[in-house]
Amino acid sequence: MSLEAFQRIMTSENVHFMLRSASYSVIIAICALVGGSVLGLLSASMKMSKHGVLRGIANVYVEIIRGTPMLLQIMLLFLGGPVITKSLFKFVFTPNPYVIGAVAVAINSGAYSTELFRSAIQSVDKGQWEAARTIGLNHWQTMKEIILPQAFKRILPPYINEFIVLLKDSSLLSSIGAVELLQSARVIGADNYNYLVPLLCATGMYLVMTLTISFFARKLERRLAESD
Amino acid sequence: MINAVHISKHFGAVKAVDDVSLHIQKGEVICIIGPSGSGKSTLIRCLHGLETPDSGELYVNGEKVDFSKDSTRQLAHVGFVFQLFNLFPHKTVLENLTLGPIKAGGVPQAQAEETAHKLLKRVGLDDKAQSYPAQLSGGQKQRVAIARALCQSPEVILFDEPTSALDPEMIGEVLNVMKELADEGMTLAVVTHEMGFARKVASRVLFVDGGKIIEEGTPDQIFDHPQSDRLKLFLSQVIHI
Ligand SMILES: Nc1ncnc2c1ncn2[C@@H]1O[C@H](COP(=O)(O)OP(=O)(O)O)[C@@H](O)[C@H]1O
Ligand SMILES: [Mg+2]
Repeated sequence: MSLEAFQRIMTSENVHFMLRSASYSVIIAICALVGGSVLGLLSASMKMSKHGVLRGIANVYVEIIRGTPMLLQIMLLFLGGPVITKSLFKFVFTPNPYVIGAVAVAINSGAYSTELFRSAIQSVDKGQWEAARTIGLNHWQTMKEIILPQAFKRILPPYINEFIVLLKDSSLLSSIGAVELLQSARVIGADNYNYLVPLLCATGMYLVMTLTISFFARKLERRLAESD
Repeated sequence: MINAVHISKHFGAVKAVDDVSLHIQKGEVICIIGPSGSGKSTLIRCLHGLETPDSGELYVNGEKVDFSKDSTRQLAHVGFVFQLFNLFPHKTVLENLTLGPIKAGGVPQAQAEETAHKLLKRVGLDDKAQSYPAQLSGGQKQRVAIARALCQSPEVILFDEPTSALDPEMIGEVLNVMKELADEGMTLAVVTHEMGFARKVASRVLFVDGGKIIEEGTPDQIFDHPQSDRLKLFLSQVIHI
């Protein structure tokens, strides 16, 4: 492999194509992180609920997701989604691989972050609940005003790590036809009968993104540690 | 005002509170003393539903508190001050004070802040309104906690060992604030090891041991004319002033 091969394959057009695809990877990861936080928070509150049924639902969700490969979940949602809506609502849609993919990754992330949320919420001192009670706040006001802001501080470092995981996981969407960073490298590889060069470029781009994020994560972690 | 009738609370095999009845009347300053582990904290916490009694009833102004439902509304005008302050660390002193009135009481923010400043002045800490709890000394934290309780326009304030976590030189400033409240006619119920405070400020002293009220009376009766052997033993073991 030579520098010549790089120059020949990585034309500015192809570099643009890969950068655009990398931005899709980032967008998918952001959507999955936001959706996953909502799902994770919901399932964490269900797990801590007094009601056995709610706890049961959350447990089933977490166990199914953690017990099966993510690639399978993505394919199942992509292929099974339209079948389910057709049989339930007589509604057929052509699945968009980006949307379905982001939803699948969000569902997956939600299950993994359930434990994260639960332990962070439970790590907040019991006295905070008690003090909130004595000033008249109800359960949800206490959650929102007192518990979550404190839990959030503890969650932030592992949560940024979760974003890195999602960024990498988004590459699995190549299996359902979403042209994210990895898939763009494969397309360029097929066009030029050379996979190694675009795959190496993709490696570099993933690393630039993940290392940048963890650099800021460490900085943030230090800042948070100071304010304690 | 607060009437606890035959309250009991177990933790496993431990009877922390054993069939206690206690009537707190307006204007009273009640001090609850007793050895450690005797059930003082559990008793005072039961009066605010921080522990749900296994049996017995609690009445606030004649209204029975329903522990099965969210009872915070019924206890809205009962303040509580904790041994470890339990301030909200991510909120400023001012926000600690206004949160309850704004969120639970529906008081407009400007009005809540005005009241909060007034109460901070009263405990001598208005210059700390924008500070965070971590920037305060223990004694200042506890005075903020008292001001926070006062923001609930309480008819009675319950204290669970408010000075036990403080360095000795800070105990006085907190006790002074409490004494001022008592002098102004606020109803207080205080679990304390500060016998000097109990003797000077209390209108009624309860001696608790083994989850029961063993003896009660005026400071004079309790400290100078104890009847039961257990109280005599307890008093001989604590340093008094
Ligand atoms: N949350 C709890 N779980 C188990 N046991 C408890 C709990 N709280 C108090 N106890 C027990 O109840 C008894 C009374 O405790 P407490 O009310 O804290 O006493 P005091 O405040 O007089 O020191 C003690 O034996 C204590 O170990
Ligand atoms: Mg105690």
